[in-house]
Amino acid sequence: MYKTSSYIMLVDDEKDFVEMLGLRLKENGENVIAAYNGKECLDTLEKKQIDVIILDVKMPGMDGIETLQKIKAQHPLIEVILLTGHGTIQSAVEGMKLGAFDFLLKPADFQELTKKLNKARERKKEQMERIQKAEAAMLLRQSKL
Amino acid sequence: MAEHINLLLVDDENDFRQILAKRLTRRGMYVREADRGEKALQMMEEQPVDIVILDIKMPGLDGIECLQRIKANHDMTEVIMLTGHADVHGGVTGIKSGAFDYLTKPVELEHLIRKIKQAHHKIQRILAEKEEAAFKERIQQQMVVAERLVALGTMASGVAHEINNPLAVIQDSAGWLHQILEKPEMQNMPRIDDFKKGLNRINTAVKRAGKITQQLLQAVKTQTTEMVDPSTFVEVSLKKLTDEAITLVEPEASLKNIGITLESCEPHPIAWTDPLQLLQVLLNLLSNAIQATDAGGRVTMILAASLEEAKIIVKDTGCGISKENISRIFEPFFTTKEADQGTGMGLYVSWGIITGLGGLISVESEIDKGTTFTITLPVKK
Repeated sequence: MYKTSSYIMLVDDEKDFVEMLGLRLKENGENVIAAYNGKECLDTLEKKQIDVIILDVKMPGMDGIETLQKIKAQHPLIEVILLTGHGTIQSAVEGMKLGAFDFLLKPADFQELTKKLNKARERKKEQMERIQKAEAAMLLRQSKL
Repeated sequence: MAEHINLLLVDDENDFRQILAKRLTRRGMYVREADRGEKALQMMEEQPVDIVILDIKMPGLDGIECLQRIKANHDMTEVIMLTGHADVHGGVTGIKSGAFDYLTKPVELEHLIRKIKQAHHKIQRILAEKEEAAFKERIQQQMVVAERLVALGTMASGVAHEINNPLAVIQDSAGWLHQILEKPEMQNMPRIDDFKKGLNRINTAVKRAGKITQQLLQAVKTQTTEMVDPSTFVEVSLKKLTDEAITLVEPEASLKNIGITLESCEPHPIAWTDPLQLLQVLLNLLSNAIQATDAGGRVTMILAASLEEAKIIVKDTGCGISKENISRIFEPFFTTKEADQGTGMGLYVSWGIITGLGGLISVESEIDKGTTFTITLPVKK
């Protein structure tokens, strides 16, 4: 298992679930941060650099879809994977239209979750690289002026 | 004129009877004759009769007694009594015993024909009423079943939602322990294989439970979102879809040496529906049919269509379903299979899908003869 410098946030009102999934991801060498509702998630994002968020759709108060919209509005580069316990893929589809990277049905298979997590992280990394390249190009052009 | 009325003319006076029979036949009625009450009863056993014209005064079994026996055994048959000129009393007794009416001899032909037609109308009316009552009862039964299924589904899906979360916790707890056991430093742990075995069992059981909740939620979803999203509806050749379903279950069938045949009407019926969901239902019905049928049996699929609807019929020569079970067959979690063979969700899901597609699914079965499932789908939207 490799160590990464990336950070993953788990958001779910079910504390036991967050804890156990967190332990599994940590066992795989991930850096995991927990949040137990939408507000906590958004507050943490202000303080901490996060790469991928695993977000439960069904939460009391601010639900997953609303949280997702706020995440995407304020931090568009963060990738979000939705967890839906509904069996209804409806909310997942809606979420993906709003910019979520992918979704998983609860209870999710850990292998699958890891795969999607890596893909999401990969996409974020590539996007960051493109931005850096573009910035470099921009600086280069400015220096030539 | 008369729409094939079957008459039985009963009179011991041969001349009178034969002439009357000839005249009534000429008016387009099917007339049979009997010269005695006993013979009349016997003829009625052999072939049904709509209306009996019955002389009251006969040797042996007399008219009134004969009438009583007819009414006891053939409640849909109407009887017109013929009485002697001075025998009003006999006619009245006849009506009291259930005769449609009586005529006094000598009989005026037009009068008799009028009475026959009246009696025939009465029969038709009663038949129509009976049919209507049976239809109403069938619809009502279907509604009762549908209501119960919806109520059950709502409750079950509530349970499924709530169970998914603890399931996820169980799965990840077991998974976490398993991950730890995979670490190099753990490899010398005593009885590590027992731990792994236990954890694998937990994992398998959780997967099974998760599958049940997902099926349940899918079924409830398909029947509660009014209709399935019509954007997934396309023109579907039922022949093609059925062929595909048969191809998919063929390996399973050939293991038991069961032949699957498809009979389709021409032209092949087309339905406007969701092919994936319909395929799921067909696979469910086919695999049920194969499981219920002994080696060497046969499964038949029949496609039929009218202007309004298309029918897909799946018929097996299997063990059949008992009366007690057939009324519960579409309920969630109802199964007669071993615990790890079936969840009791298959037909419930199928019912939900077909209802969602705007169709109907019904079942008929006879023990040891086989079972027939019929799906009815609207042809156009």
